[in-house]
Amino acid sequence: MNQFLTLLLNGLSLGCIYALIAIGFVVVFKATRVLNFAHGSILLLGAYVVGRTHESLGFWLAALCGIAAAAIAAALVELVIMRRVRGADLGTLAILTLGVDILMLTELSRRIGTDVLTTGAPWGSDVVEVAGLRIPESRVIAAGVAVVLVAGFAAAFKFSDWGIAMRSAAEDGETASLMGIRLSRVALTAWALAGALAAIAGLFLASFPSPGIDAQVGLVALAAIPAWVLGGFDSIPGAIVGGLIIGVVASMSAGYQNDLLFLGRGLGDVAPYAVMLLVLLVRPSGLFGSREVTRV
Amino acid sequence: MSAAPSRQAAAPLLEVRGLSVSYAGAVQALDGVDVAVPDGAIVAVLGNNGAGKSTLLRAISGMLPAQRGAIDAGEISLAGLRLNGLDPAGIVRAGVVQVPEGRRIFTDLTVEENLRAGGLAAADRAARAKARARVYDLFPILRERRTQPAGLMSGGEQQMLAIGRALMASPRLLLLDEPSLGLAPRIVEQIGEVVQEINRQGTSVLLVEQNAAMALRVSELAFVLEVGRVSVSGRSEELERSEEIRDRYLGVGAAREARAASAASAPAVGDGRSAAAEELVVDGLTVRFGGISALTDVSFRVAAGTTHALIGPNGAGKSTCLNVLSGVYAATEGRVLYGGQEITGLRPHRVAALGVSRTFQNISLSAGETVEENLLLARHRLTRAGFVSAGLRLPGARRERARQLDRVREIAALVGLEDRLRQLVRTLPYGDRKRVELARALCAEPGLLLLDEPVAGMTQEESAAMARAIEVVRQELGISILVVEHDMGFVMSIADRVTVLDFGRLIADGPPEEVQRDPEVLRAYLGGGER
Repeated sequence: MNQFLTLLLNGLSLGCIYALIAIGFVVVFKATRVLNFAHGSILLLGAYVVGRTHESLGFWLAALCGIAAAAIAAALVELVIMRRVRGADLGTLAILTLGVDILMLTELSRRIGTDVLTTGAPWGSDVVEVAGLRIPESRVIAAGVAVVLVAGFAAAFKFSDWGIAMRSAAEDGETASLMGIRLSRVALTAWALAGALAAIAGLFLASFPSPGIDAQVGLVALAAIPAWVLGGFDSIPGAIVGGLIIGVVASMSAGYQNDLLFLGRGLGDVAPYAVMLLVLLVRPSGLFGSREVTRV
Repeated sequence: MSAAPSRQAAAPLLEVRGLSVSYAGAVQALDGVDVAVPDGAIVAVLGNNGAGKSTLLRAISGMLPAQRGAIDAGEISLAGLRLNGLDPAGIVRAGVVQVPEGRRIFTDLTVEENLRAGGLAAADRAARAKARARVYDLFPILRERRTQPAGLMSGGEQQMLAIGRALMASPRLLLLDEPSLGLAPRIVEQIGEVVQEINRQGTSVLLVEQNAAMALRVSELAFVLEVGRVSVSGRSEELERSEEIRDRYLGVGAAREARAASAASAPAVGDGRSAAAEELVVDGLTVRFGGISALTDVSFRVAAGTTHALIGPNGAGKSTCLNVLSGVYAATEGRVLYGGQEITGLRPHRVAALGVSRTFQNISLSAGETVEENLLLARHRLTRAGFVSAGLRLPGARRERARQLDRVREIAALVGLEDRLRQLVRTLPYGDRKRVELARALCAEPGLLLLDEPVAGMTQEESAAMARAIEVVRQELGISILVVEHDMGFVMSIADRVTVLDFGRLIADGPPEEVQRDPEVLRAYLGGGER
């Protein structure tokens, strides 16, 4: 029972991080109809900048730099590449982002080389005990930060002018631009925001219990893709719920791996995708996704 | 019909001069169009489907690039400021806001949020507050329902919201794209009054409409677009009285040669391969979507082997009716019998198996395949070879394919496509594609053919070619044809009998000559005598 609760809490906190990443996927997709596979390397870039600068700047300033770097990088991807091919086919755009991902990932891996970079986070490898359950402090903080960020984001999305512009543009871009909403600006903020969220998620992904910042972190971010898909490509509540589900599934299947050996090793990596497939079989548009409607 | 509009002397607010627009560098949609909106006036632009009305609006509001269109020549200016070259957001800030066709409100947003979305382009907070007060004043219903999701409102309320949303940016010129589309007469009247009220408050209006009655009633000046050119312009009251306009919208005195020719030759028996034509009976058909009635208690019969037309203004329920007949929509009440068998409630492929075949308003062909392949696909129902025997090219499958190809060629010849069989569909001109659709529907060997707006957006010659093709088909194959169409002239020249719908109700049913003179029909199309 104890193990179960520990795994559940761990899973939920991991899920919070996935949710942050998945929201980035959703926001970019809603604003620009781009399946952004460069998200993982943007996340890695944020973590990398923190890893390189925290010794000279201190953690907090370094974290700010990392977040800013990721936001700027994401905005540049939109400004320099995606904007020129607006309206291209969904597949073309996705493959373009894959190309960007490979380029960035290769360069970052080269720069990291064999170094083991850490985030230098003040909470280090401390572990807290809650009602007899032991969880890493970094995960507790991650969950707290994620909840605050998601709530703030949801409020802005619901109430601010930016949120209204974003939602109108997502629902019907053509009409939104007839109302004078600048779609290019909406797209740019969406990309920058996704980049910033990814960097924050990256910070926690690279903290204890993970070994540190390496190219692997960018790949771990891909685990948020099932969360995004199963929530329904274009739903923010879906991204949050999807993130939590995938977090718990990943943590459980890794934790009980030894009891499930008949399914083979490495179950923790596969299980999220299996859950995603199962959900899509029952609900092809994901849990909260808007169904495609066609008129005859 | 060129009475010089008196107010044109003063510099107009919006001036469109010599505007030529083409799509994808090939399709010419507008050709040297001149339109002017005097400051403080309501100006109407009339025209049929495909006349270039939407293109004109897109050019003014800067939306052409999104549709791969471009201004080839001419200039658009607002009080001396050049608009072409500005992006849509810049044009809104210059003072021109468009209410899009089909309302296009943001259904996921609340009423209030929709208005806020419209106000994002307003100059400042004070301007927004003022505009909001004006909108709530004009449409009290919006204030009442401001926290509701906009998607839950009725069609008329949504139209009001769409207009209110556009007013939030305090435009100098309001562009309205078909505001009466699909709305009940009472609501259309209200919208007309609101447009006049908005105008009295100092906003100029450019109104694009197919509903000539409403547009001519509220406007001061009007322009009629036809195949990308302004064919008639002048003061609205004069146009409303003119014979020419009545002809254009009612097809009175349309060329009847096609009919005369067909009456001379005896109807052929068909070649036995088509499913035999049966009588279609529509009995008390009612269709409701949510709270909106699209069709109310409609009954008519299509006798076997005749051409029957279903006509009516936009939003009359014609397409809904066709969708019920082909099994796409379910009937709320009433039933449809084909050859004595009930087809309401059958799935589309079951309806097709009974020998009912249809074409679509928007062409839905496989553009990357040849005409021949598109037509062969339609013979799937009549093909026996399975995918294994076809894949292995067994002798039986090969013989069958040869037989099918022969029949495809015969049908293509019927509609005049025999030279086009090897061409890719995407390389064909629009009129030919529409005939490929017709041929594809025929390849299913139907007894009843449903045609959804076969000449929408066609030029005069293309439309004539289509009329010939339909006439030949009916004679050679002896099948029944039900055609839904806007274009009165076309309908009158091919139909044996005409059923007229208006706002979901049947208002006339009879031979074309009779229907043409029916006062109800005149009123539905032109609103004659309502002034």
